[in-house]
Amino acid sequence: MIIYDEYVTQIEGHGRVCFDIKDGKVEVRLEILEGSRLFESLLRGRRADEVPQMSSRICGVCPVPHNLAAVQALENGMGIEVSEQTKMLRRLMISSQIIVSHALHLYVLAAADYLGVKGVSELYAKFPEAVKRCLRIRSVGNRGIEIVGGRAVHPVNSIPGGFAKLPLKKDLEKLAKDYEAILNDCVETFNLFAGLKYPEFERVTEYLAIDDGKHFPAYSGRLITNRGLNVEAKEYRKHITEVFKPYSTSKFCLIKGHGFHVGAIARINLFKERLNPVAKELLKNSPIKFPSDNPFHNNLAQTLEIVHYAEEAIKIAEELSATLKDEERPKQRKGGTGVGVVEAPRGTLIHEYTVDEKGVVKEANLIIPTGMNTTNIEEDLYTLLTANIDKPKEHLKRLAEMLFRAYDPCLSCSTH
Amino acid sequence: MKPKIAIFDLTDCEGCEVQVLNSKFVDRVLAGVEFTHFRLGQRVNRWEEFDVAFIEGAAITSHELELVKKIRESSKFVVALGSCACFGGIAAINNFIGVNEAKKYVYGENADKVETLYIKPLPEIIKVDFMIRGCPIVPEDFDRLVSDLLAGRIPREHTRPVCMDCKSKGNPCFLLENVECAGPVTYGGCGAPCPSAGMPCDGCRGPLEEPQMNAELELLKKIASKDDIIRLFRKFAPMAPQFREVWGGER
Repeated sequence: MIIYDEYVTQIEGHGRVCFDIKDGKVEVRLEILEGSRLFESLLRGRRADEVPQMSSRICGVCPVPHNLAAVQALENGMGIEVSEQTKMLRRLMISSQIIVSHALHLYVLAAADYLGVKGVSELYAKFPEAVKRCLRIRSVGNRGIEIVGGRAVHPVNSIPGGFAKLPLKKDLEKLAKDYEAILNDCVETFNLFAGLKYPEFERVTEYLAIDDGKHFPAYSGRLITNRGLNVEAKEYRKHITEVFKPYSTSKFCLIKGHGFHVGAIARINLFKERLNPVAKELLKNSPIKFPSDNPFHNNLAQTLEIVHYAEEAIKIAEELSATLKDEERPKQRKGGTGVGVVEAPRGTLIHEYTVDEKGVVKEANLIIPTGMNTTNIEEDLYTLLTANIDKPKEHLKRLAEMLFRAYDPCLSCSTH
Repeated sequence: MKPKIAIFDLTDCEGCEVQVLNSKFVDRVLAGVEFTHFRLGQRVNRWEEFDVAFIEGAAITSHELELVKKIRESSKFVVALGSCACFGGIAAINNFIGVNEAKKYVYGENADKVETLYIKPLPEIIKVDFMIRGCPIVPEDFDRLVSDLLAGRIPREHTRPVCMDCKSKGNPCFLLENVECAGPVTYGGCGAPCPSAGMPCDGCRGPLEEPQMNAELELLKKIASKDDIIRLFRKFAPMAPQFREVWGGER
């Protein structure tokens, strides 16, 4: 096995792809080497009103889903049912987060693979407009999180029952306009990535996302896959197993003993019919069709989502800028175990907490999108390297890392 | 010659690096400096003498402990970026639980196969020239430091508590409403986003240089339980010297 000293660059967190070819057969493993912060441990003994803020610290790139999966799980454990308005505000936060995170991944991390630049400095030197577009999109997305959540990185005011403070109507109105103003940037992002040449590769696998029966996946729902899994989120332990591997601090997830894929490509493959109009139109004329079994196409799926969630954010912000009203926050009714499930930029995220009658967390379990993808990435790597077995090692390493990066892995998250 | 900058991330959420991208990155940083080492942002990285090295995150493995010593040897000016580097960060809560116990809870029978150390703040491992505090940092602090360094100035510390930021936003005082708040003893300059969004300050920027801890604790004891007070200071900067001593630093 070739062990590389260096971590893979331009991904969130620390990991590497190690592989070897012996007697014409590929051996490969995905080593996730992020330090363990042991979040499940440190959240025990904390009060429910501080846990959403603390959970968000699992990830600085995608804090909102952790914040909201936590608050949803706590509410389910505490017998709290939140209002439709609260759910809409949370969908607005998720939409903004996915836009911000995808823009970061696509331009700052993934684009270099396809545009022949070494990194963000060179990208700026050669494609200044692309970098500026990225920053414009991120700036509005950040503002969307901040207006509702109080801060863009690590939102502060999500608490069981709703929000410590509601946004101002005029801020929502302006947000809708700001999103209108960057919709074209989002479309241009799709155009840029639709014109790239992706490595030819296909492997049939299982795709998982959440389904609330109505929306393109975002906030809450059942766990469903293209192979017929359709269960309540709280049943997750019966279907998703976690395995420890000695070469990785992140656990590896399996459904029925094999890998599965979550994230943008899974959501688009499963729910493209629910995309908003502009995104749907782009998909109709896209040179790459979905459902796709090429994991490199995850990048294009992300661009479709940027457009979709921007349209979604406009809808929600416009509606709430007219209808937003003060509401009483429902209070804890009981202690118990609750599961929360949301879509993070990188896929379905599950938090589970047991809370006592006083609202103190006793047990915690977190299943992270990149943790769900790990087995699938290893299976993909095996197939990809096997198909290219006669190419030079250095080429294989590049290709393998590109595949790993296309998943937009978040290793801080997956190890947590 | 553009100054050579390195950004290293140890174990953390990378949220402070995200805030670097949210700063005046393109206007100033990207145009004014050379990123010699920046794993998150580029494929090709060189290890040579750095004019300024930013270290984000907590050293939680022996590999990371070695790495920070190597960075120190190679750098003229070392900045601890964010509260994980400055004060151990959220993961250091496990210091007080017991790291082995914490590992067993997460990894069960495989706990011994995962290395997680007792977390020390970076200034207790190597000499640190400047700290940018916060969980996460605010982009303005990063911009200010970079422009100071580019101009050859030694950056100045904020000397005001979060209360000053909070008052300037016109927020009502949580302590006056009997809600525990770390604002009076916490290093200001953040713009008080938490109180402005309806939540008390939870001390994420660590203590002021000379925090009035006794006065703060006297006040808190009247309105909060011992457990709640410990929880308040044992959150995002738990290994900050004045915070970890609250209630004798007991478990």
